[in-house]
Amino acid sequence: MKTPETLSGEMMEKILEKRSLPSWVKKLDSWTVYAPRKDENERWNYDIAGSDSVGLDFTVTTLPAKALIFPQREIFLEFLKTAAENRETLEVKEVLPGEKPVVIFGVRPCDAKAISLLDKVFSGDFVDPYYWTRRKQTILVGLACGTPPWENCFCLSTEGSPHSEEGLDILLTDLGDRYFVKTLTENGEKLVNRAKDLFKEPRPEDKKKVKAVHAEAEKKIVRGIKGVKKDLAAKLRGMFDSPLWDEESMSCLRCGICTYLCPSCHCFDINDEVDSVSPLHGKRVRTWDNCQFPDFTMHSSGHNPRPDKASRLRQRLFHKFQYFVETYDKIMCTGCGRCVSLCPVGIDIIKVLDKVSDHGS
Amino acid sequence: MAKIEDLKEEARKLLREGKIKYIIGYGTGSNGWMAGPVFIKNPEDVDKLVWDPTCVHNLSRFLVDEKRRKAREKQPDKRPVGIFVKGCDSRAIVVLLQEKFIERNDVYILGISCENGGVVDEHKLTRKLKGEKPKKIELSDNGQFVVTTGNGKVEFPVGELLAERCLECQANFPVISDILSGEKTKRPPEKPFGSIEKMERLSQADRWRFWKEQLNKCIRCYACRSVCPMCYCDECVVDSINLAVSADTTAEEKANKVKWVQRSAESSENFVYHFVRAIHLAGRCIDCGECERACPLDIPIRFLNKKLEKEAKELFGYEVGFDPAQPSLISSFKDEDPGDFIR
Repeated sequence: MKTPETLSGEMMEKILEKRSLPSWVKKLDSWTVYAPRKDENERWNYDIAGSDSVGLDFTVTTLPAKALIFPQREIFLEFLKTAAENRETLEVKEVLPGEKPVVIFGVRPCDAKAISLLDKVFSGDFVDPYYWTRRKQTILVGLACGTPPWENCFCLSTEGSPHSEEGLDILLTDLGDRYFVKTLTENGEKLVNRAKDLFKEPRPEDKKKVKAVHAEAEKKIVRGIKGVKKDLAAKLRGMFDSPLWDEESMSCLRCGICTYLCPSCHCFDINDEVDSVSPLHGKRVRTWDNCQFPDFTMHSSGHNPRPDKASRLRQRLFHKFQYFVETYDKIMCTGCGRCVSLCPVGIDIIKVLDKVSDHGS
Repeated sequence: MAKIEDLKEEARKLLREGKIKYIIGYGTGSNGWMAGPVFIKNPEDVDKLVWDPTCVHNLSRFLVDEKRRKAREKQPDKRPVGIFVKGCDSRAIVVLLQEKFIERNDVYILGISCENGGVVDEHKLTRKLKGEKPKKIELSDNGQFVVTTGNGKVEFPVGELLAERCLECQANFPVISDILSGEKTKRPPEKPFGSIEKMERLSQADRWRFWKEQLNKCIRCYACRSVCPMCYCDECVVDSINLAVSADTTAEEKANKVKWVQRSAESSENFVYHFVRAIHLAGRCIDCGECERACPLDIPIRFLNKKLEKEAKELFGYEVGFDPAQPSLISSFKDEDPGDFIR
């Protein structure tokens, strides 16, 4: 299986009036359309959107878009043992995701960039058919951030930006009463062509305004990490045994918020779930797993190579800022700020990384 | 009025004299306005301690970590740790003492009274501020929450921002402490179980629908369990492998280990997890509300615990976390206990 070609030759730039957004969504009836929806506590999450309920006036979803492509639970296969005339047969049936193709509206650039990182993880020597089946049938319509969705955004220091196009099929930029629509892939063009009449050619002042909105957004991002990619990785290499990890992890609760809600974390576990013992049938499923749980590295002997919170916090940072950099030459963090904003005890990856940068200087 | 300064002096002295190992307290959190847990080892760092209505965390949860840490050390430092507690948090310490999880001289308790205040609910604040970011929150002398934002100061009556559990608080000052700042103001709640009244009025079918919708959201990050001082089991029934495995555990024993709950974050499994947890907290939960606060998906977990708290009170006259010598609800028996559920 080949990974998809992302960039086509040409890209289109169009204008869509905001009030035409529902009409566009209505035309996309061959896809399941997801868009952010707000709950009573002002939190956003992706939900199936009808043409009347789609709106893009949102901050950031609690669960990143990754959850729609790399779901928390994925059935790999089903097994069934049958016995007839003293002969037992074991039937195994592969289950591939075969749902309707999907369009996700309102993907933040950091979340889309994170999906491009997952693309790397799930390809290479082993191309993951489950991931790629979903990935290929999903079209990502991004929304550039005019204002950082929350105070802990730091995408500028993770090789991203509030208007990054990486991983997206379309990037929308909010120009007040209209969206500036930039298609980035053939899939993106396909979506626009479904409702050609709704889109207009941009005026020169629209193009100017887009640039201004993008530049203004960058200025509004207040947080950032000091160290650049290579320096951080080099610093970390010498800090495996630093007392810093113990200090910084004192308040860690060892819950899974920072990793499960991270757009780029991708560790998983595989289990057989038995529905019935006689006759034996059940499913083999993949579920998200999490390096912050004590049992993540527990050996069957009872030995645990990462026995404490310090070693687990260190692992999260090393994976993102050293191991991944060494393997793929990319940081496995896109600066979305979820782990900072949603940590119940306020552990702040930016501050920890700044301490790493300052280490020994 | 409760003042952190009173306690800082004591904290400095305790650390200087080496009477305690370190202090678990509140410091300024990462986003600038919400407090966060801090661990103070040096007397000169005592000034990092803060006390304001954003000190929501129940720090007694870190006593569980301290116990684990001591168990790992070959020659553990047995001095007590200093810990800042509000009224609710102090009740958690009482339960830990009652269950003999810790001993009284493991802790030096720096109590701080909420008096007529309490802690703020972040969601309520977000809704009130309509997008503005808070910078600082204080309780004024005349009993108002004063919120400083980029556009100046706004005052809110305490009741409008208080966390739900504070509105139903049964101990607004610490019930156990070695030093206390603030008055022992009695403030009995109007409706100690007011928040669950609405739930109780729902039909069984509606309640089922409600919980199904809520628990479907659960991603099993276990923040509710991790933040809870009462969830101190080394091995939890929902963990994917047996944490209590030792070098002597045979392969057969491991293979035959019953898996009660699947890892899949599915409705049925999520129900098992949350209900097992609720039952295990019956007669133990002191309603610090941390499970609900920590939940990134806003599942109203407090309803479950509050309901069981009410059952314990109405059926057995049992109140949690006031007396370390009280026998625990589950392991004690009285002749007058109701038995009409036994058929």
